[in-house]
Amino acid sequence: MHILSSLWTTSFLLFFALSVSSVWALHESEAGVVDWQKTFIGVPRTDGPRSAPSFLRMKAKGNDTTSLIISASERTLGAVNPVDGSVAWRHIFEPSHPILGYYKSGNVVATLSGVGGSVLHVFDSLEGTIIHEKRLHHSQNGQLYSQRTLGVDVTFGAPRTAGHEAKDLFVLTNGQTVHRIGGTRGDLLWSWTAPEQTSLVILERLTVTDSTIYAIGLAKSFASYTLHVTALSAETGELLTTQNIPSNIQNGSDDFLMLFPPTSEDPRLVWIEKGVVRSVALTPKLTSKPQSLRGSGNTKILDVGLSKHGMFIVKKEDGSATVFKLNQNTFESIWDFADSATSSKYSDSIYAGSVDKEGKPYIGRMYWSFGLQAGVLHVFTPHLLEGKGLVSGFSFPFKTDDNGIINHYALDVVNPDRLKVLSRIVVTTTTGAVQLWLEEKVQWTREESLSTIAVAEFVELPERKAIQSGTTESEGFVGRVLRHISDAQGFPQYLAGFVKRFATASYASVSAAISHDSGLHRDEFGFKKIIVAATEHGKIFGIDSSNGHVVWSRVLGLGPVADAGGLIVPLKMFAVKTVSDGEAPQVVLLTALRGFDGTVNTVVYHINALTGKDEANNSPKGDILQGTVVFPGQPSEAYLLPSKVKTIILLDSANNIHLYPHTEANVQAFAELAPSLRFSLQTSGHTLHGYQIVQGASDKSAFSAHRTWSLSLPNNEVVGSVIRPAQGPIASLGKVLGDRSTLYKYLNPHLFAVTTVSKASADGVCSVYLVDGSKGSVIYHASVASTRGTCNIQAELTENWLVYGYYDEDFAGDHQTKGYRIVSVEVYEGKGVNDKTSSSELSSLSDKTLDIHFYERSFETNQPVTALAATLTKFGMTTKNMIIATKKNQIQSIPRRLLDPRRPKADPTAQQQEEMLIKYDPVLPADPRLVVSHRYEVANVRKIITSPALLESTSLIFAYGLDLFGSRVTPSGTFDVLSESFNKAQLVLTIGGLTLAIAIARPMVNRKKLKERWFQ
Amino acid sequence: MSVTKVEYSKWKSLPPPPGFAPLSTTRPSSKAVNTPRQADSYAAIKVKRAWDLAMSPAKSLPMQAFMLYMSGGGVQIFSMGIVFMLLFSPFKNVAAINTAFAPFAPSPSSPKSFNTLFIQKIVYILANLTTLALGLYKCNSMGLLPMGTGDWLAFETRGPSPEISLH
Repeated sequence: MHILSSLWTTSFLLFFALSVSSVWALHESEAGVVDWQKTFIGVPRTDGPRSAPSFLRMKAKGNDTTSLIISASERTLGAVNPVDGSVAWRHIFEPSHPILGYYKSGNVVATLSGVGGSVLHVFDSLEGTIIHEKRLHHSQNGQLYSQRTLGVDVTFGAPRTAGHEAKDLFVLTNGQTVHRIGGTRGDLLWSWTAPEQTSLVILERLTVTDSTIYAIGLAKSFASYTLHVTALSAETGELLTTQNIPSNIQNGSDDFLMLFPPTSEDPRLVWIEKGVVRSVALTPKLTSKPQSLRGSGNTKILDVGLSKHGMFIVKKEDGSATVFKLNQNTFESIWDFADSATSSKYSDSIYAGSVDKEGKPYIGRMYWSFGLQAGVLHVFTPHLLEGKGLVSGFSFPFKTDDNGIINHYALDVVNPDRLKVLSRIVVTTTTGAVQLWLEEKVQWTREESLSTIAVAEFVELPERKAIQSGTTESEGFVGRVLRHISDAQGFPQYLAGFVKRFATASYASVSAAISHDSGLHRDEFGFKKIIVAATEHGKIFGIDSSNGHVVWSRVLGLGPVADAGGLIVPLKMFAVKTVSDGEAPQVVLLTALRGFDGTVNTVVYHINALTGKDEANNSPKGDILQGTVVFPGQPSEAYLLPSKVKTIILLDSANNIHLYPHTEANVQAFAELAPSLRFSLQTSGHTLHGYQIVQGASDKSAFSAHRTWSLSLPNNEVVGSVIRPAQGPIASLGKVLGDRSTLYKYLNPHLFAVTTVSKASADGVCSVYLVDGSKGSVIYHASVASTRGTCNIQAELTENWLVYGYYDEDFAGDHQTKGYRIVSVEVYEGKGVNDKTSSSELSSLSDKTLDIHFYERSFETNQPVTALAATLTKFGMTTKNMIIATKKNQIQSIPRRLLDPRRPKADPTAQQQEEMLIKYDPVLPADPRLVVSHRYEVANVRKIITSPALLESTSLIFAYGLDLFGSRVTPSGTFDVLSESFNKAQLVLTIGGLTLAIAIARPMVNRKKLKERWFQ
Repeated sequence: MSVTKVEYSKWKSLPPPPGFAPLSTTRPSSKAVNTPRQADSYAAIKVKRAWDLAMSPAKSLPMQAFMLYMSGGGVQIFSMGIVFMLLFSPFKNVAAINTAFAPFAPSPSSPKSFNTLFIQKIVYILANLTTLALGLYKCNSMGLLPMGTGDWLAFETRGPSPEISLH
């Protein structure tokens, strides 16, 4: 009741307070024009058949069938339309419940998520709606195996009642429990758990017949595994038999597969041991004897998803592959793929199966041909040529420079004509791209790696250069006249444009879309910038900030570990040249290159931000982007030298300092500033260290960091994140109050914020600190209760204003509530008003740096904050709004007036009203007008970055996470441009009319004056 | 323009109407007798009038204060008009001080000199200053005087810190 009433008061107050400013919500006409959003489904996991992309054919409305590409990433299950690559639907899972795998059957897709498969979701595969959801066990009771996806499986049984569509699900979780779930309502029919003594057995796969369900597991024995089969009654879940099958499995679940021969009732278990393929038919009594396939020297059996057709692939030692088919209890080799042995001319082949509309199977083989520099796909069609089988193939020009290497593909084949086989493949690459190829043409590409952006930076575009014809000294008269004539060609258009612009109000409008034909040039208001974004999948993108289109992209080279392979971890990005330097803007991406051979190198990539060109000239033209190894080992931190010469300071783990670019001028500039530089590092655990830079005694050009202070936080806290202050001009040194006294802002340039996480698993404490980075003193400290050991504190520091959001579970009495909090803190100099210590220019040795006071207010929100950032404008005069991303997948712009920590608890006095302070209300309103992302869903936002436009009123925002979102906000309204409703035509007409009236009236008045003289 | 001149000589012989004293000019013999007394009273009247003038700005103060009160605290055309009047009239008055006091100057002294009626002029200046003070008070209460630190904040500057933090 109290909250309700306060909500009313807030909205009432808000109405009055905010109706003053004319524009503070997004206009409908601006939605989709000033902002953009890109939806992603995440980079598909290709490490198992249960999550990689695959085609799913399903019944659509009527009798048609339609197909979608289903793919699962860590936290997203998505369906992509194969025609245009758009997202048909997706479902995002909680971070605590990552997807273990998806299992599809016609119009139903089931997923298991969480530890040991704790939750089962069943989706309608056409619409993506959840049909039912079932928690099978508590995540705490989940079994963690070495491989995440071990010990879980879902298989679809026959429907219980004939004629009913929904098939029952048999679900294996935790490697020991089998459930039968009703297909229609998701009710648990029965559940069977393996008895304790067989806990050495991990059940891995389920196979179902009409009457019996077989759970195939692996029992650990000396140095290998033994197959273990449990037969359960499908109807009741009653244990029929359980038995070890004498076998010797080396590679776990990769070494066995199930086949359903079309002619036989009983499924068949096939495995490989010591180079020999063996099989056994599964019967309810488990009485069959295993038998061996002729021939040895086999290394691998591959399940290509055609078990229902009894087909699988056996690979020999030399890499050559043979298709086997089970016919009447005998295996028959039906096809040898020619030239499939391992060779230096082409890469290892990837095999995939497909079933067309009529249910006919196909097997594809794909490899990369080094000779052709193209991908090659062979499709084996068993039923053609009277059952002899036919292989058709084509090569497709896959671009490794743009998309890396093919990790996985899924095949979809149609056989429209007797000898015609058309195939399309969906390819997943190492750079996280998902591409659809129809034969040798690429239909669409989804850059899913954009959902894994690690660092991003706004880069300003250069102005369009006025075009000037070349003037040469030796130009003759005729040449000169001709040049002028050619220059004057555009004059009529210019004149027409000028008249039109003068007479009507067709100026560039702040709420209009930016024209995109102008190329890479700044627009009138500076809304168009390039966002350079480096992803975790070794690709860097240049994104147009006005519409989200990818302008350029480059694949990052692995340099020293090119052969071994490795992972590029982007750490920081610096703008080393901006347009104000008179050159094309350049960025430097700092990465840690972790080779799979165990080496770590610090590599920088120096890139032209407009084109993606390598500025360090490491990479040959047309090749992938190669970086520069600065030093071997992991970098501990990197900074940009705050001087005219843009130099990057890198620290290695031994605290030695490296400069990039390492030029004489840069070393000189650094040496000059070095004595006054201070920085701090967070070492593992709960200690922060501050450093100063010392010059080498013998080698004057060698610098290293020398520790000056240490700050030990309480033992049960671990440093979670360090929040650096937002960089931007500070327009005002203080806050002027209603009586014109001043609260001087505490603008210590060394200030940064630290959030900690609790070390204790329960009932711990997390904290927020403001630390003076020059000497390690704590300026502000707040403890928040941890929620079951985790504190997801999000914080932002700008000027003297710290805002942090967390979940408060501290529930002690009647007057407390659990909930999501946002706390706003402002630090001011001295003890009160007019007390000035000039904090921004104080030496760190001064004792006045601790002479502060602060204001604090805590607010309740209805949504957890996943990221927050303050708006940034060119001169810093515009009010700073907080841009927050919420769990509701929205981006909100919260006015500073709502978050002002000086909001009075009583009714505001006249002086406070003069300051535009509104009465404090603990509840931040859930006002839809604050949502800048309007209808868009912006999921799992990890970070928001802001950048100033040329207009002081406007700040550009870019939020990235699973989705990308770009927009622009005007916290104080567009005060520096004429409003859209300004009627220039009316103004021009009025002035014209008055001029005309004067011209007519002047002679009349003159005449009248003259007459008066005469008659006087 | 023609001005009709009164020819005194024409009517000199006529007796004055009943109850009217004869013109002084007609009795030059009495001039020597009456002049000192009359001059004294003139001088006294002049001094009195001079004092009246000197005190006049102070006398109008209550009325002006009331007008200010009525005009309100907001910055609008009416209150600004009154405030400008209060601010400018003292300067105007002081600038024209010698002319204003010239009619009351005692006969022997030079009427335009600042030294004549010195005390009255000083009082007049002081009284005008009270008007000015009232105007300034009004300005202050309307928040138009740069009295607070906040009014000078925009002119404050800060140098860089001797240490540079890398962020």
